[in-house]
Amino acid sequence: MDLEVTPAGANSDTRSDARISHLALDIGGTLAKLVYFSGNKKLLNDDRVQSSAEVGGRSSSVLHGRLHFAKFETRKIDECIAFIHSKELGSQHPKELGNGKIVKATGGGAFKFADLFKEKLDVCLDKEDEMDCLVAGANFLLKAVHQEAFTYIGGQKEFVQINQDDLYPFLLVNIGSGVSMIKVDGNGKFERVSGTSLGGGTFWGLGKLLTKCNSFDELLELSQQGNNRVVDMLVGDIYGGGDYNKIGLSSTAIASSFGKTVSANKVLENYRTEDLARSLLRMISNNIGQLAYLTALRFGLRRIFFGGFFIRGQCYTMDTISVAVHYWSKGDAQAMFMRHEGFLGALGAFMSYNKQGPDNFIHLMKQDPKHEPEFDGTAPEEEDSEYASIDCFLDLA
Amino acid sequence: MASPVDNLHPEIRGIKGDGQQAEDKNQHVEKEGGLSGGERDMAPVTGNSIHRSGSRPLLDLSKAAIQGNFEERDPTILLPNQSDDISHLALDIGGSLIKLVYFSRHEDQSVDDKRKRSMRQRLGFSNGNRRSYPVLGGRLHFVKFETCKINECLDFIHSKQLHRGASNNLPRWHSDGPTNENAIIKATGGGAYKFADLFKERLGVSLDKEDEMDCLVAGANFLLKAIRHEAFTHMEGKKEFVQLDHNELFPYLLVNIGSGVSMIKVDGDGKFQRVSGTNVGGGTYWGLGRLLTKCNSFDELLELTQKGDNSTIDMLVGDIYGGMDYSKIGLSASTIASSFGKTISESKELEDYRPEDISLSLLRMISYNIGQISYLNALRFGLKRIFFGGFFIRGHAYTMDTISFAVHFWSKGEAQAMFLRHEGFLGALGAFMSYEKHGLDYLLAHQLVERFPMGAPYTGGRVHGPPLGDLNEKISWMEKFVQKGTEITAPVPMAPPGTTGLGGFEVPLSKGGTLRSDASALNVGVLHLIPNLEVFPLLADPKIYEPNTIDLSDHRELEYWFTVLSDHLPDLVDKAVASEGGTDDAKRRGDAFARAFSAHLRRLMEEPTAYGKLGLANLLELREECLREFQFFDAYRSIKQRENEASLGVLPDLLLELDSMNEEARLLTLIEGVLAANIFDWGSRACVDLYHKGTIIEIYKMSRNKMQRPWRVDDFDAFRERMLGSGDKKPIPHKRALLFVDNSGADVVLGMLPLARELLRRGTEVVLIGNSLPAINDVTAMELPDIVVEAAKHCDILRRAAEAGGLIVDAMVNTADGSKERSSSVPLMVVENGCGSPCIDLRQVSSELAAAAKDADLVILEGMGRALHTNLNAQFKCDALKLAMVKNQRLAEKLFNGKIYDCVCKYEPSH
Repeated sequence: MDLEVTPAGANSDTRSDARISHLALDIGGTLAKLVYFSGNKKLLNDDRVQSSAEVGGRSSSVLHGRLHFAKFETRKIDECIAFIHSKELGSQHPKELGNGKIVKATGGGAFKFADLFKEKLDVCLDKEDEMDCLVAGANFLLKAVHQEAFTYIGGQKEFVQINQDDLYPFLLVNIGSGVSMIKVDGNGKFERVSGTSLGGGTFWGLGKLLTKCNSFDELLELSQQGNNRVVDMLVGDIYGGGDYNKIGLSSTAIASSFGKTVSANKVLENYRTEDLARSLLRMISNNIGQLAYLTALRFGLRRIFFGGFFIRGQCYTMDTISVAVHYWSKGDAQAMFMRHEGFLGALGAFMSYNKQGPDNFIHLMKQDPKHEPEFDGTAPEEEDSEYASIDCFLDLA
Repeated sequence: MASPVDNLHPEIRGIKGDGQQAEDKNQHVEKEGGLSGGERDMAPVTGNSIHRSGSRPLLDLSKAAIQGNFEERDPTILLPNQSDDISHLALDIGGSLIKLVYFSRHEDQSVDDKRKRSMRQRLGFSNGNRRSYPVLGGRLHFVKFETCKINECLDFIHSKQLHRGASNNLPRWHSDGPTNENAIIKATGGGAYKFADLFKERLGVSLDKEDEMDCLVAGANFLLKAIRHEAFTHMEGKKEFVQLDHNELFPYLLVNIGSGVSMIKVDGDGKFQRVSGTNVGGGTYWGLGRLLTKCNSFDELLELTQKGDNSTIDMLVGDIYGGMDYSKIGLSASTIASSFGKTISESKELEDYRPEDISLSLLRMISYNIGQISYLNALRFGLKRIFFGGFFIRGHAYTMDTISFAVHFWSKGEAQAMFLRHEGFLGALGAFMSYEKHGLDYLLAHQLVERFPMGAPYTGGRVHGPPLGDLNEKISWMEKFVQKGTEITAPVPMAPPGTTGLGGFEVPLSKGGTLRSDASALNVGVLHLIPNLEVFPLLADPKIYEPNTIDLSDHRELEYWFTVLSDHLPDLVDKAVASEGGTDDAKRRGDAFARAFSAHLRRLMEEPTAYGKLGLANLLELREECLREFQFFDAYRSIKQRENEASLGVLPDLLLELDSMNEEARLLTLIEGVLAANIFDWGSRACVDLYHKGTIIEIYKMSRNKMQRPWRVDDFDAFRERMLGSGDKKPIPHKRALLFVDNSGADVVLGMLPLARELLRRGTEVVLIGNSLPAINDVTAMELPDIVVEAAKHCDILRRAAEAGGLIVDAMVNTADGSKERSSSVPLMVVENGCGSPCIDLRQVSSELAAAAKDADLVILEGMGRALHTNLNAQFKCDALKLAMVKNQRLAEKLFNGKIYDCVCKYEPSH
C-alpha cells in the first residue's frame, strides 16, 4: 500500500472539533477505546483530489480527514457516552441498519452496553468479533503505519522496519484486562492460541487493593519509584547472596514475587506502596513475557508484538517484557511494541465499516512529524485522552 | 500340642510383669544380639502354645531378659515411631516447613531356628543373612515441623537421638552422653545454611548441605520407582492413582512449587536440567495472601479458599460479555478473563472484600499460571508426564484441580498433571539418598510396605508437640486426642465429585463447615523397608497383577466394608482383651485400639484415598497392624488353640474314612472337605453366629453333607482329570504344590492337611504356606509345624513327609545330616508368606516362599481372603486351584450372582 501524499495544508483544520463521520468502539473490561474519523473535506466524484494515488481509479467516495484515538474507563462509560454525544455523529455516518445509527463495536462491552448506547445515543452497536478486530487493527498498523513497531531493550527504543512480505506469521499478544495470544498468519487468518488471566486488570486490581491508588496511571507512576527487592524474594536472599550459578540464576533474579512479604512481623501498611507497585508490575510483565515466548516457541514464531492498554509505552513494563522474552529465548525471539498498542481492537472495528473487508479502506497520508507521538525513553506517552491522530482518507466504496 | 504359654520360660515371668511382652523381648534379643527395639515388622508371634521349648536355648533367653529389662526401662522402644538402631537422618529446611526423613533399622525378625534353617537349605535358599541384601531392613519415617518452631524439631531429634546414628551404629541410651564431633547430617533447603550454627550449637552436628535440585530429583526418582501408586491424577475432585511403568518413567517434567517454581526435565537418575521456572509461586500466594487477608499461616490462608467465591474478585468472561460465553474461542462465561480484574472498582476498598474470596482468587491465579507454564515447557521438550511437588500443593484438592485443569485444557488432554503422595518430602528424601551406601537405590516396589500408625488419621504425618514416650503415653494421647478432636475429626459425608466444565472452574468442593488444617492432605505413613520381600515368581504377569478383586473406589463397596469392620470391632476388642488375660491394662489397650482403628476408618470414609490406593486387602491388614500397634499380637490365640486341638482329635477318624474310598471318591471328598471346613472363619459374621449353634465337628459334618455339586464355580472335573487322568492315561503327578492355607482349626486340620496328604501320597512335594504374622484366626507359619507334628502322630504318610521336610526337629537333631531320612518320602514343608493379613498381595511375599515357588507346578489358594477378596482373577504360570466357601451374601452376589455358603472351586491350568 502506497501512502497517499496530500496537498499541502490539507490537514490544516484537522485538529478542530470537526464532526465525527465514523466512530468505532472497543469496550473492554477495564477501558473503552474509541477510534473516530473527522473529515475536513468531502471528496465526491465531482470534487476529487487529483493525485496519482487516486483510489484504484474506481468511482468511489473518498473522505479526507484524521483518525483520532481516545480512551475512557469502562466503569465510567457515561463519560464516554457524553464524549460521543458532544462530538455528534455526523451525517456521513453510515446508517444502513434500521432507524438508528450504526456504530461498529467490539469487546465484551459491545454486548454488555448495547442497550445503554441505544438509550442514550440512539445508536445500535454493531458487534464485531474481538479477535477479528485485534488482528485487523494490528495488520493495518504494522503494514501501513510507518514506524509503528519498535523494540525496547536496555532503555533504548528502536523502530523496526518491517518488510511486509515477511510480516507473517507473528504472535500478537494483546494485554488488556486479561491477555490474549493470537497467532496471525495473514489478513483474517489467525488463531487464538493462548492467553492468561494475569493481565492489566490484575495489575490494576491487585495494585488498587495493595496501594489504594485511584487510577491505573497513578499506579504506574508509583511503580516508577519503587524498589522490588523489599518485596520480592531474590535468588540471593535464598542462597545467602551468592548466585545459584549451577542453573544460571543470578542473585538478583526474582525467586518468588512477593516472597518477602510472608514475614510475620510486617503488615501491608509497613510496605511502601511504590515497592508493592513495582513488584506487581514486574511480576505480571515478566509472566506475560514468559508465556508469550513459550507460546511463540511452540509455533516457531520469532516475532512477538505486544499490544493492549496495559503497556502504555511504560518503559519499565516494556523493559521487563523484553528481558523476559530475551532471557527465556536466549535472544532468539524479540519482543516488539506498537505505538497504537491500545487501539488495535477499536481500529479493527473501525475498518469493518468497509464491507469489502479491512483492506484498502483507510489510506494514510504522509504522516506529519509534528504529530508523531513522542517517546523519549522515560516518560509515558502523552497523558491526555487524545492520542496521536493519523492523517488519512477513507475509501467509502 | 505344646504347653500353653503360661508355662513357658517361667524364669522370665519373675522379671517381667507381663509374660507376653517379656517373651517377645527375648526373641528379639536372641535374633539381634540385644540391640533390638520394639518396633515390629515381622515380629515373631509369641506366646503361642506351639513354640517348642527345645528350639531355643534358655541361657540366651535369660541374658536377653536382662538386656530386655534394660530396654524396658526405656519404654520408647515399644513405640512405632521410636527407633533403636538409627542409621540416618536427613533434613529439608524450607522457609515454612522443616521436613525430616529418618531411618530406623529393623532386621528381618522372623525366627531363625533349626527347623527354618533346614527348610531354607531344602529350598536351596542359601541364607537369611541380611548382608546379602544391598539395603538394610528398616523403616523410613516422614515428619514435618513448622520452620518457625524449629526448637520443637531440635527437641524431637534430640529426644529420639536421631543425630547420633549417623556416625555410630550403636545406640546410646544416655542422651547426655558425649557427642561425636564429626556427626554430619545431610540437609537441603535454604534453612540448611541459615540454621547450620543452631544445629551445631544445640545438637553438636554439622549440616552437610546438599544441592536442592539434586535432592528433589533424587527424591522424586526414588518415590516414582520404589513406591507403587505414588503418583496420582486429580481431576474435578477425583483422585486416581497411577501405576507407572518404570521403564517408561523418563523423561518427565518435575515441577517443584516452593516459594518460587522450578521446572526440571528429568532424564534419569542424576540426569536432569532446570529448563524453566516462574517467580509466581507459593511465596507469591502466601506473601500476597498475607498482605491482603492478614492470615497468620499458609494453612489458614489455604483454608479460607474452601469458602471463597472468586467471582467477586475476578473479572470473568461473562462480566465482560454481559453474562454470555465467548464461545467462538472456547471461553465460557465463568472463565477468568482477568484475575483481580473486578477489584478496580472505585467504590470498594480492600476491607470491603471477603478474605475468603481473595484467597481463592489468588490460589486460582497462581495454580493456573503454573499449570499453563508447566504444560508449555512439557510440550517444548515433548514430555507427556508432569509431576508437581513442593510445599505449595499440600494435597490441597482445589490447587491440584486447578493445575490439572490448566494442563488438561491447554494440552487438550494430551498431557497429564500428576501429583505425588510424598510430595512434601522430595527434598528431604533426596538429601537422605545422598548418604553413601544407603542402598535405597536398589530398593524395588515389592520391598516396601507402607503402614499407617495410630496418629496417621489425625496428623497426616505432622508432628504436634513432643514425641510420645511410651505405649502408655500413646494410649493417653489417643484418649485425649479423640476426646478433644471428636468434633474436628467427625466424619463428613463424601460429596460427589464436583464438576468443572470447560474453563468453568466453579467453587471448590466444600468439605463442610468444620475442617482441620490438612483435611484434604494425604496421609503419609511409615515406609517399611523389607529387603527380603519378593514378587511371587509364579505370577503370569506381575505387571498387570492386581491383588484386589473388589474395587473400593466404588463408594458403596467402601461403605459396606467400613460397616462390616465397624460392626465387627467390639467382638474383636473382646477377643483381643481376653487374649491378654482381660487385665485392666489389656482393657485400656483394647479401648485405645478401638479408637485408633475407628479413627482410621473415619478418615478413610472421609477421604478414601488418604492412605493411597486402597484395596480390601489393605484395609484388613490395617486392622491387624493396628492391633499389633497396641501390642495385641494374637487376639485369637486361645480360640485357635482350642479349635486346633478339637480338630486334631477327630482327624484320625477322618483319615480312616478317606482311606476306605477309591481314588476318585476320595479326591472329591477331599475337595468337599476343604470347602466344608472353610466355613470356620472368625472373620465372617455369619460364621461367628454359627459357632453358637454347635460343635466344630457337627458344623463340619453338616457343612460337608450339604455340599451339592455343581458348586457355584465348579471346575472340579477338570482338576480331577489333571490329577487322576481319564481312562487308562495316568498323568504325571505335580512336582511340588504350594498350599496357601487359611484358618486354624478344622479349616487347616480337616480340610487342607488331608488334601496335602493326598498330594504327598501321589509323590508331590507339598509346601504349606502360612502367614508370617497372625491375622484373625488364620493359621500362621509358626503354628503350622506343630499342627503337622501332632497330626503326624496318627499318620505315617504325614510323619515321613514331615521328617523329610525337617518339620520334626527332634528327628533332625538325632540324624547326623538328615539326608537318609529325607529320601524316604517326598517332603512336607512349611514356609511363611511374608505377610500378616487375611489377604495376600502376591507382589510382596517372603523370599522363602519365592524360593519354594521355583520348583512348584501347582498353586492352591484357599479361603475367602486369599482366593476371593484377593487373587480370584490372578493368573499363574502353573496350574492353580482356588477353593473357598463364600461366607458373605453381598460378596456372593457381587462376584458370582450367588448366595451365602456357595462354594468356589476354580481350576486354571498353567498358562
